[in-house]
Amino acid sequence: MDPVLSVRDLSVALTLPGRERTILDAIGFDVAPREIVGVVGASGAGKTVLSRAVVNWIAAPLAIRSGHVSFRGTDLLGLPPRAMRRLRRDIAYVGADPMGALDPTLPVGRQIVEKLRAVMPDVSRREAQARVIALLDAVRIPSATARFHDYPSQFSGGMMQRALIVDAMVSNPALLVADNVTQPLDVTVAAQVIRLMRELTERFETAILFVSSSLPVAREAASRTLVIDQGRLVEEQPTEALIAAPRHAYTRELVAQIPVIWGERPSLPAVPRAAGARPTDAIISLRDVSQTYRVKRRGSFAATSELRAVRNVTFDIVKGDSFAVVGESGCGKSTLMRLLSRLERPSAGQVLCEGRDIARLSGAELLGFRRKLQLVLQDPFNSLPPRTGIGAMLEAPLRIHGWRDPRKIRERVRAVMDDVGLPVALYDELPLGLSAGQRQRINVARAMVLEPEILLMDETLSALDQTEQFKLLALFEKLQRAHGLTYIYISHDLAMVRKACNRIAVMYLGEVVELADNERLFFDPGHPYTRALLSAMPALEARRFRPEDCLMEGEPPSPIDLPQGCAFRSRCPQAFEACLHHPPFLTVRGARDLAACHRVPGAGAALLAGAA
Amino acid sequence: MDAVETFPKRSQSKWMPVRRKRARQSKNLEPCSIAERADPAPALATPRVDVTASRSIGRRILDRAARSGGFRIGALLLAGLVLAAALYPELSGIDPAMRDIRARLLPPLFLGDKWSWAHPLGTDQIGRDMLVRCLVGLRYSLLIGVASVAVTVVIGCALGTVAGYFGGRTDTVIMRITDAQLSIPMIILAIAVLGADRPTIPAIILVLGLSNWPVYARVMRSVVMAERGREYVRAAQVSGATHPRILLTLLVPLLVPPLLFTSVLDVARMMIFESTLGFLGLGVQPPTPTFGSIIADGRKYLLNAWWIATMPGVFLCLTLTSINLIGAAFERARNSIHGGA
Repeated sequence: MDPVLSVRDLSVALTLPGRERTILDAIGFDVAPREIVGVVGASGAGKTVLSRAVVNWIAAPLAIRSGHVSFRGTDLLGLPPRAMRRLRRDIAYVGADPMGALDPTLPVGRQIVEKLRAVMPDVSRREAQARVIALLDAVRIPSATARFHDYPSQFSGGMMQRALIVDAMVSNPALLVADNVTQPLDVTVAAQVIRLMRELTERFETAILFVSSSLPVAREAASRTLVIDQGRLVEEQPTEALIAAPRHAYTRELVAQIPVIWGERPSLPAVPRAAGARPTDAIISLRDVSQTYRVKRRGSFAATSELRAVRNVTFDIVKGDSFAVVGESGCGKSTLMRLLSRLERPSAGQVLCEGRDIARLSGAELLGFRRKLQLVLQDPFNSLPPRTGIGAMLEAPLRIHGWRDPRKIRERVRAVMDDVGLPVALYDELPLGLSAGQRQRINVARAMVLEPEILLMDETLSALDQTEQFKLLALFEKLQRAHGLTYIYISHDLAMVRKACNRIAVMYLGEVVELADNERLFFDPGHPYTRALLSAMPALEARRFRPEDCLMEGEPPSPIDLPQGCAFRSRCPQAFEACLHHPPFLTVRGARDLAACHRVPGAGAALLAGAA
Repeated sequence: MDAVETFPKRSQSKWMPVRRKRARQSKNLEPCSIAERADPAPALATPRVDVTASRSIGRRILDRAARSGGFRIGALLLAGLVLAAALYPELSGIDPAMRDIRARLLPPLFLGDKWSWAHPLGTDQIGRDMLVRCLVGLRYSLLIGVASVAVTVVIGCALGTVAGYFGGRTDTVIMRITDAQLSIPMIILAIAVLGADRPTIPAIILVLGLSNWPVYARVMRSVVMAERGREYVRAAQVSGATHPRILLTLLVPLLVPPLLFTSVLDVARMMIFESTLGFLGLGVQPPTPTFGSIIADGRKYLLNAWWIATMPGVFLCLTLTSINLIGAAFERARNSIHGGA
């Protein structure tokens, strides 16, 4: 079979006045019809440039130095814009940023119709609309006809990405370039999108070039995978063979860095319990904590509805723990983070730090609590003040906490910079041009400078690629050993949690649905949502849980009008009568673990007792 | 105005990802020298204790600005003018209000046939020395211009920052006051205040300052609103910083400098407003010369003694050019240092 796409000897360079840097170096590969080809590489390897070159979308300062990209025999790179426009119906592109790709001022459906009519002017408006609605239905957007007229702001991230896939597929393209499409999505939604793309190749005979920064994700989608390192194609193999027997050193390293989930027991962080400290010495305890926001009701003037972001959460964090809170976006993780760090006070319940309610602290006591608990933020680009020197940034917390002697402050800051692996020479520099990993080290240093006992990691590693994550996790482990820290990770990345944490709370729609030790949670989860998360998690090994059995289509219901009964029942394959009417309570499983599901043995008894 | 108000809210949710992405991209395309130096993270390399060689950022901006030609010219010019205004009237011993009917309407040096070394810029219709009058006028103009802009910036930035940072009811109240202030035309306010009582210099400064702050308040409010939601502000909160500390040490140093560069232009506007008030008779009262009153007097002699009305203009022009040169040099230096040079 002739390849749909064939790239030969493609080189792209970045031209700046006075210098030139090669971004892609002599890349060559083929894509056959109906095939999904994965492209994997670290951030900055040139993946996005490659995916743009394939759709002939290279603009200054990038320039093509040599090579051909031929689509069904025509060389795209030499085509004039007019001819290229005609080809756009056969070549489609989906990017990583669905928010940026849709015009916020136009209904989603109209934008897709507009694109369809731009590439196929002979389709009538009515026909186009029917086709778009049919496709919206095909990608399982609920009530597609009504959604057709909705604006992008009314779509969730996952739905918007689906709408963009419709936008790409609407002209029945022969080739779809998907540039990191799953990156902004939650694992369960990402798994649905990948499943959808696999179906589409069969239904519409589309070939897909699937670009991703994560090898496990590419493995889910692609039958054959290319590995790119610093602009060079280092390896090309069928995906399974690539993972089983990587040939190139870079690929071997890449495969080795993917955390093992179920295989051999990974070295769990040694929990440095101080001698004498019993595992019941909770450093942080949540007692029935809830947080409710009032939000304006859409389409009304002054009416508000209650958004229950966190509902009746209770757990203890023991000194020396690496505690994780996992869940998908919208599950209340971030609200919980704000409550734990006392950026907000809970609307009900208490957060206790060593037995004292932190909502009541003020003045010097509050400052003392702040010194004890520090926060490391998520976004390495947004979380550093843009025009402050790195040294000054790290000095600020010390000054707040009453340090006055400039020499002592400087010494302390240098010690911390050394601790987290930042060159002291950066002291007077601005954080410009630093890599995401380096910026995240500054974030950690800013938290560490006060010598806290608890570090709250709010998605600290999710913006980094695998290699950087690996290094920072090693750093965290080292710091924990040296300073006896307690970590609270807030994350959606189960693989990272498996590697770094010993106790895990799973949240769904503001509730803790399962609380268990690492081993138990991954091998014997008690809640169907945990199973769904585990089944959707991209991994390189054989799964213990099949997504087909554990994961139903759909997205979490809105936290504004919560369903009666169990919040997860709409997506739960095991839901039964009781789930419809009675919310399940956290029920003890074994010595230390809890899960909130009617299927847990013993839960029924509690229910009956409650009913009686 | 409405657009200005809603813009930052939307820009946060919709535009931020784009901007972030761009930042990441540019990082990918050109890893800067710092990154290359720092990337291997030689944690174990002996930490250098001596870093006196590297200079603080403020210092670097100053140095870079001082190296540019525009800054030097501007600084020299401004220094010359300020020195002249401060010293010449006293040193020369000429009274700016002293009449000398015999030497009336003398032209500036080397022009016409009656010029004299005693009056380098000529004299006006009653024989007062133009140079001294201009320099004394410059004193008042500079004083009024700079002071009223300072009043404007302080009031506007303070209210705007507070409104943008705290939001909610505080914001509503402050912004309604701003709207009320905006609806009063400057001239009406000036006539009401200055006409009621003898116009003194502090009163003029206050009137000019009070009539212009709403613009600053609005701009400041919108940038603070955008910045308030950023993560580094949250980081500061968690490290225990109080609201005033966040405002004064984090947001104000970040957001006010760009505003200051535009406020330099307002110094010029205020000088012109002061002239307007003088022209209306509501400015500094004669015999004290100001640019406004000199121009108003010289208007009648524009055809046969053009220098009376033009000389204040020349001084105004020189002063503003020099201030702008200095401001622009600072702005460029700041941008290039913060842009990674």
